[in-house]
Amino acid sequence: MSLRSYILTRIILALPMIFILLVVIFFLLRIIPGDPVLAILGGKAPLEVIEQKRHEMGLDKPIMVQFFDYLKDVFTGNLGTSTLTNRPVIEELKDRFPATLELTIFAFIIALLIGLFWGAESAWRKDEPLDIGARVYSVLLYSVPVFWFGLILQLIFASYLRWLPVGGRIPAVTSFEVRTGLYVLDAIMSGDWKGLLDVLRYLALPSITLGMVTSSIFLRMVRNNTVLILSKDLVKAARARGLKKRVVLYGHAVKNAFVPIFTIIGMQFASLLAGAILTETTFSWPGIGSYLVMKIRYRDFPAIQGTIIFFGLFIVVISIIIDIVNALVDPRVRY
Amino acid sequence: MKKYLVALLMLFVALGFSASDYIVVGTTDKIRTLDPANCYDYFSSNILFNVLAGPVDYKVGTAEIIPWLFEKWTVSKDGLVYTFTIKKGAAFEDGTAIDASVFKWSWERVMKLGGDPAFLLGDVVDKIEVVSAQTLKVTLKYKFSAFVSVLGYTVGFPMNPKTTPADKFIDGAPSASGPYKVTEWQRDVRMVLEANPKYFGAKPKTPKIIIQFFENSTQLRMALETGQIDVAYRHMDPNDVLDLQKNQTELGLKVYLGASPQIRFLVLNVKQKPFDNPAIRQALSYAVDRDAIVKTVFSGLASPLYTLVPIGWWSHIDVMPKYNPKQATQMLQKLGYSSSKPLTIDLWYTPSHYGSTEADVAQLLKRSFEATGVVKVNIKYAEWSTYVEYFLNGTMGLFLLGWYPDYMDPDDYLWPFLSKSGAASMGSFYESAEVEDLMIKGRAATTLQERTALYQRVQQIAAKDAPYITLWQGFADCEARSNISGIVLEPSQIFRYYILEKK
Repeated sequence: MSLRSYILTRIILALPMIFILLVVIFFLLRIIPGDPVLAILGGKAPLEVIEQKRHEMGLDKPIMVQFFDYLKDVFTGNLGTSTLTNRPVIEELKDRFPATLELTIFAFIIALLIGLFWGAESAWRKDEPLDIGARVYSVLLYSVPVFWFGLILQLIFASYLRWLPVGGRIPAVTSFEVRTGLYVLDAIMSGDWKGLLDVLRYLALPSITLGMVTSSIFLRMVRNNTVLILSKDLVKAARARGLKKRVVLYGHAVKNAFVPIFTIIGMQFASLLAGAILTETTFSWPGIGSYLVMKIRYRDFPAIQGTIIFFGLFIVVISIIIDIVNALVDPRVRY
Repeated sequence: MKKYLVALLMLFVALGFSASDYIVVGTTDKIRTLDPANCYDYFSSNILFNVLAGPVDYKVGTAEIIPWLFEKWTVSKDGLVYTFTIKKGAAFEDGTAIDASVFKWSWERVMKLGGDPAFLLGDVVDKIEVVSAQTLKVTLKYKFSAFVSVLGYTVGFPMNPKTTPADKFIDGAPSASGPYKVTEWQRDVRMVLEANPKYFGAKPKTPKIIIQFFENSTQLRMALETGQIDVAYRHMDPNDVLDLQKNQTELGLKVYLGASPQIRFLVLNVKQKPFDNPAIRQALSYAVDRDAIVKTVFSGLASPLYTLVPIGWWSHIDVMPKYNPKQATQMLQKLGYSSSKPLTIDLWYTPSHYGSTEADVAQLLKRSFEATGVVKVNIKYAEWSTYVEYFLNGTMGLFLLGWYPDYMDPDDYLWPFLSKSGAASMGSFYESAEVEDLMIKGRAATTLQERTALYQRVQQIAAKDAPYITLWQGFADCEARSNISGIVLEPSQIFRYYILEKK
């Protein structure tokens, strides 16, 4: 299969996946008992007002009509209007997405750095203290709930030591202009170095929390795969040629171990987003994760629906990209 | 080069703020909308109270109505026509004068858009006329002496016709007419309020208020303790409030406690067996141990309540029976119940809408009813939206509910509970021609004395008929660094940022 037709097949296969996702989200949210209008106005507004509101939202239409309206809306990029704030859900997601993106990018970098270097080094020194430490670390962090780990870090570094802020994304006063919504970038673009330092201080705890928890999986994968490769002939050959450890380990072993790891990274991205939901709530990080939690609390159905669709599409797109890159790196995937 | 200069300048500006120029307020509340035509939740109106000027205000620290944009008003003899005189010189931040036509435009917009609070005006207002630039005439559909109180809520606050769309709700912040204007709003992150130079009233004591939003109360507490915020307002966990109060001097904090107009009560559905029997409702009202709930669940941070009108309001009288399990037992035995043949009832609560304490309240109520020895209680629960459906369609017979007022008048604690339409939307389905008649008279009466007498009579009948058993009145709290002054927890629940000061 040529690369182009592989990419095409991959994208076409994604379409039914998206459709199933849309159907499931729609019907799941309607099976759940409870009426969104009542959730907001119940016990306060007169009954006529409630009826009128329900009519405005189209909730009195037959379910199939609602379903087709919904499909039409989704395909025209309209994710509905939040019942809580009366704003288009897509607008609210746009406001919030940069926060989640910034958090996941930094968490991902941290996870990758820890996973890659510690994993490779402990494979090199198999069964030595560094390796045992790595194994204990990854088991511990894999089993720890991310919100609990976040709370503990918060307690130590924000509450006792007071080195870092408790939560939020920016201090009360900043002077950089918000352009991209990625504050690190915004601060750099405005040349506001004090602001950049502030932003990084706020970013530190959430991204370390999420990054460390995610790193446990990377660490194990990198270590185990590298151990496997290290016992292979190509490594023996490399060492026999008298290459330095750095070249043998990173140039030959890790590089070869990386293909399966790359697939895992793609899959981990989904769980990284799931972890972001909890991390964001723990640190009052105003991203899409905490947005979803808040909207669930208020029974804001259009917003919940829109957010899940957004999450779903995001993961589909990421996994297509990962698959394509994978196919580029390792031609075996295509056949 | 220019870039570096700008950066340097910005750094200069950043460092130029001295500490007392601004106060940081932290909250876990959310802002839904800043359009008075759709604003019907606490924190949104809280912001609007500081950003817009309204027709009337309350004297700081009291529930007494005082003039604000309306200098004075008169009511016609039949109680149907209100004539308001508007203050001269009031304007929005862009200079647009606030006159009678602005009020007419704003109120008609509220009623036309039909937002969440629109019924507050739409139900009573028949006609709005501009008599002159400074005079506004409003004709009501029926006599309603609490009308001016309704105007104290944000639904009656005028909006700038030049900047506000007539046919839809605004998305951002309104054109300011009050002490502050919104200069920055990153939703659920931060809001910056700066003094509005065009405001006709007193200048705010602190030129800049920054509101930071948090996701949970643990964070709010830690942010206050570490000095990230100066003031924490809504919602600290009750245990944290007590804990901070105990250690306030060491921590350099001050904890403020006040009464809240929120009341909590049991609803008894008078159309459902066995609660259709007034004698059973009456007996149950003897069997409620309010003190135990207040002490055990709220560590004393609430007040037991024995009538619908909250403590400290005019016409409030304790009318419901005090806890007397023996009396309750006797009354129920007379009705043929015994320990071998107990009265079996379902008690409903909703687990998250009223906070995490609700399950404990239900448990204590069960224990307190069962202490009579002749009642057996099954506890049931449902999530809020299902719960609302259940009480509107009469599924539940006995359940916990809460009420938060829309306007500062006892009418708002009686009419929505005891009128036929009100009782139906509250799930009690109570009907009484006598009570309805007294309440209509109360709405028409113009003297406080007359109204007090009528409303006390209504409360007495309500206690006897017992479609509701009130339990407790909530508390309001605010925690601040000890160098912050000007925090007043008002009966009206308006939180005035413009009187806050940092030393």
